[in-house]
Amino acid sequence: MHSRKQRGLNILMNVLLIIYAVFALFPLLWMVLISFKSDTEVFTTTFIFHPTLSNYREVLLRSDYLRYIIDSVIVSGGAVLVSIIVGVPAAYALARYNFPRKEELAFQILSYKFAPEILVVLPLFMIYQKLGLYDSYLGLIWVYQLISLPLLIWVVRGYFEDISVEIEYAAQVDGYSWYQIFFKMLVPLIKPGLVSSALLAFIFAWNCFTFPLILSSNKVYPVTVAIMKYLGTDSAHYGQLAVASTVSALPAMIFALCIQKHLVRGLSFGAVKG
Amino acid sequence: MARIQLENISKAFGKVQALDGISLDVKDKEFFVLFGPAGAGKTTILNCIAGIVMPEEGVVKFDDQIMNLTDSAHRNVAMVFENYALYPQMTVYDNMASALRSKLYKADESVIKERIQWAAKIMKMENLLERLPSQLSNGQKQRVAMGRALVRNPNVFLMDEPLAHLDAKLRNSMRTELKEMQANLGSTCIYVTHDFMEAMALGDRIAIIKEGKIVQIGNGDAIYYMPCNEFTAQLMGDPEINLIEAEITGTGNPYSVQFRIKDEQIVLELPEDNGVYAKIRELGLKKIHVGIRPQNVKYSFEPKEGYFKASVYSYESIGNKSVIVADCGDVFHNQLRMIAPNGLNVAIDSDVYIHLQLDHAIFFDPESRKYIVRYDEAAYIALAAAQEER
Amino acid sequence: MAGLTLNHVYKRYDNSGKKKKVKNDFAVKDLNLVCEQGEFVALLGPSGCGKTTTLRMVAGLEEITQGEIYIGDRLVNNLHPKDRNIGLAFEDYAMYPPLNVYGNVAFNLRAKKVDKAEIDRRVREIAPLMQIDDILDKMPVKLSGGQKQRVNIARAIIREPELLLMDEPLSHLDGKARQAMRTEIKRLINKIKCTTVYVTHDQLEAMSLADKIAIINFGVLQQFGTPAEVYDDPVNEFVASFIGEPPMNILETTIIKKDGMFFFTFKDSNLQIAVPRRYYSVVSDGFRCKMGVRPMDVMIGGENSHGTPEEIATFENLGDERRIGIHVGDILLMLITEDEKRYKRGDIVKLEVREEKTHLFDINTGDRIREKN
Repeated sequence: MHSRKQRGLNILMNVLLIIYAVFALFPLLWMVLISFKSDTEVFTTTFIFHPTLSNYREVLLRSDYLRYIIDSVIVSGGAVLVSIIVGVPAAYALARYNFPRKEELAFQILSYKFAPEILVVLPLFMIYQKLGLYDSYLGLIWVYQLISLPLLIWVVRGYFEDISVEIEYAAQVDGYSWYQIFFKMLVPLIKPGLVSSALLAFIFAWNCFTFPLILSSNKVYPVTVAIMKYLGTDSAHYGQLAVASTVSALPAMIFALCIQKHLVRGLSFGAVKG
Repeated sequence: MARIQLENISKAFGKVQALDGISLDVKDKEFFVLFGPAGAGKTTILNCIAGIVMPEEGVVKFDDQIMNLTDSAHRNVAMVFENYALYPQMTVYDNMASALRSKLYKADESVIKERIQWAAKIMKMENLLERLPSQLSNGQKQRVAMGRALVRNPNVFLMDEPLAHLDAKLRNSMRTELKEMQANLGSTCIYVTHDFMEAMALGDRIAIIKEGKIVQIGNGDAIYYMPCNEFTAQLMGDPEINLIEAEITGTGNPYSVQFRIKDEQIVLELPEDNGVYAKIRELGLKKIHVGIRPQNVKYSFEPKEGYFKASVYSYESIGNKSVIVADCGDVFHNQLRMIAPNGLNVAIDSDVYIHLQLDHAIFFDPESRKYIVRYDEAAYIALAAAQEER
Repeated sequence: MAGLTLNHVYKRYDNSGKKKKVKNDFAVKDLNLVCEQGEFVALLGPSGCGKTTTLRMVAGLEEITQGEIYIGDRLVNNLHPKDRNIGLAFEDYAMYPPLNVYGNVAFNLRAKKVDKAEIDRRVREIAPLMQIDDILDKMPVKLSGGQKQRVNIARAIIREPELLLMDEPLSHLDGKARQAMRTEIKRLINKIKCTTVYVTHDQLEAMSLADKIAIINFGVLQQFGTPAEVYDDPVNEFVASFIGEPPMNILETTIIKKDGMFFFTFKDSNLQIAVPRRYYSVVSDGFRCKMGVRPMDVMIGGENSHGTPEEIATFENLGDERRIGIHVGDILLMLITEDEKRYKRGDIVKLEVREEKTHLFDINTGDRIREKN
């Protein structure tokens, strides 16, 4: 009696989960399918078509798409790197030291993310033109880190706060200097937080569209803007568009898979009394 | 190993005065205990010695050398933290090796290995060396924290309540082990605790700390038998000492103490003792607080000569013996505690007859709450002095 | 009010979901227990021994794999917890934060739609008993640990349950507060005379509170008896070493025969202790077993003592008593004395043992070896 009821419930739960999974994954699947279709077959809704690699050939070999990807990597990676170099010490200071207006400062850092991009992009455009940052790597890295830095600071700060201050004292007493303590003891402990927030920051930066659309043109050309090229005014190459999208999703995915094991939190627990 | 001196140390955290003029002189190879209630400033004293906290006033000296401006890495102290502070990302072995791998205290890996194995053997944790701290129980973490201190050859061992988070059984057996270990090592050690048994058992000398000040310094016997005030007397002993507000009557041959149990007036003759009688006469005492330890209160469940009646409030085991608490009405500021064996059949609220062995009493001034005199004072002074010589 | 009877109760957790089959998968095995009406019974054991599982089965929060549980003479196996008429006080039984103490205590009765005047009468009746009458208006966040626990118990008993179940209610308190609350609980239960089952891992708590103690290890009941019985007459090595602080000294021994007398001898030690006559029927020359003796029953003899000379390894002065440790082989034999004499490490003393207080345990199973009548 009891177990039959339970099993019925289990089946129902699984069916619901599968429906949700299809709903969530279908657009991705559709994108990948389109990338293998020729332009004539794009609009067929059946799953029967003649798979072709011509779109891939077109995008990867006959256009500058690889250059755009490299641009994106440089700009997003640069932004994350800047965020780490600036953000980790900032997070440490916010976690460990008491100073006047600390919470206000922390909140203000977060508030950079509040303003809609479209609101700030026009003034930035004017400023960049004047400073000569328009359409340069530095300019885009500079603006991208506005997105990644607050996220990183807030996540890493939490990790620093979880580390008991006695661990630092213990290392001091053991004869280590502050820099040695920071790199040998603390960095390994915040690694899960650092890695996961860096990954998220990277993805946000990668997907950023408004800023590169307006603040760059020919010299720096991130993929998000580049994809637009396949949507012409008169014709749309949906197959090539799909290839560009699929390929642009790959670096973030590969990045995520590589660091998956670091995403596991919990290393910092159990060192001090439970 | 070194002699550690603190001279007039003061430290405030914001508006809170954590330490207020602390002076200590810890001899070389001494086991020195800082004992007091939570929040008394004991940990701050350790942190001042370790260099983690900078005192605002006063001098910290190691072997007559002023250390105030030396950072903690260069002070060569080994510290055991209350929460153990093990490095979570390192195995037990690496935790223990960390000091000897730092630039300042660098040693050969072979030497490190030897030291760790030696320390692991003492702490009985040879089988734990490859584990991570998260895989250890509290008792094991505590051993590792101790072991990490032991591998070094520091000026002083600083231990901050290392046994506080263990359960009673483990705490007592670890205390015994620690005592044996310290005797083997012959090292200077400053040990913070709020547990009276640890203070008594381990300390060559004990400093009682209250609200950032030192109340009394002395060896266990001196503090236990001649506490300088009621605070110390209450702190030193579990169950706590009984304090009775009494009046002194009589003319001196003999004197008596008089107090009330519920509605009954109790008059007890004070046994003859030159020291006690002389003090009462000299100070012209009328009112007095009588301190009497639970083991000097005798009970009977039958009426007996020299016993007065009260009722049982509770009967509880404290391990190898039990405590009877008698409800003695409102004149005693608390209830009267006495020691009894385990396993008696005592009903709550039944009658109990009590006898105070006044010839073990300690007397306090009711105003200042300071120690006045006790029975056999000379003998206890001699006992304490004999301990000092060791 | 009613008693509680556990009749051959088993509990097995369903491990089918896990990859690894656990070999010893009974959390509770063949548990038989009879608590008389009004009795205070402690379930005592190390963590993971099945004591909490047992309590949860009695409460109805856990299914019973096999066996019967009776409250009074009602079989409750298939009753919902709310129909069992029990009061529960758990370790961290959270209070409803938006309600004040009064509201928290009255909550159960309100849920049962008891008449308002009746609720008020019951709360007012129970509050002074629990010493919470002056905090009835306070919010839970403002209470101390001890007060919370009193409210907790008040909530459990306001329903006038037949059975009160408590699961480590004191483990959140520390030191003195814990000791004080222990006394309070003892006095309260004594007043309301409710049958109580109390789960704890702290032998002091069990010894102080309970009329009877059930000691459980690995899901199996070891001994069920009064505090005096389990202290003085343990059935096996586990009970002997679990009860009492410092624990009983337990040493492996080989018995030898000399001049018609039997003696305990120990590996790597000169120590010899005479075997009490009552054991002569069960021992023989070369017999190996474990000997247990409480630290209170080992003494330092005077100058004329016939005891074995031994070297002191540790000496701890604890004020009212002194604990001395002496190495016997690789075991530290502890003894407690109230003697005023101060020793130091390395002093040679003569060791005496109250032979009649020694216990014998089987060297393999740890079961008590008793004399034959």
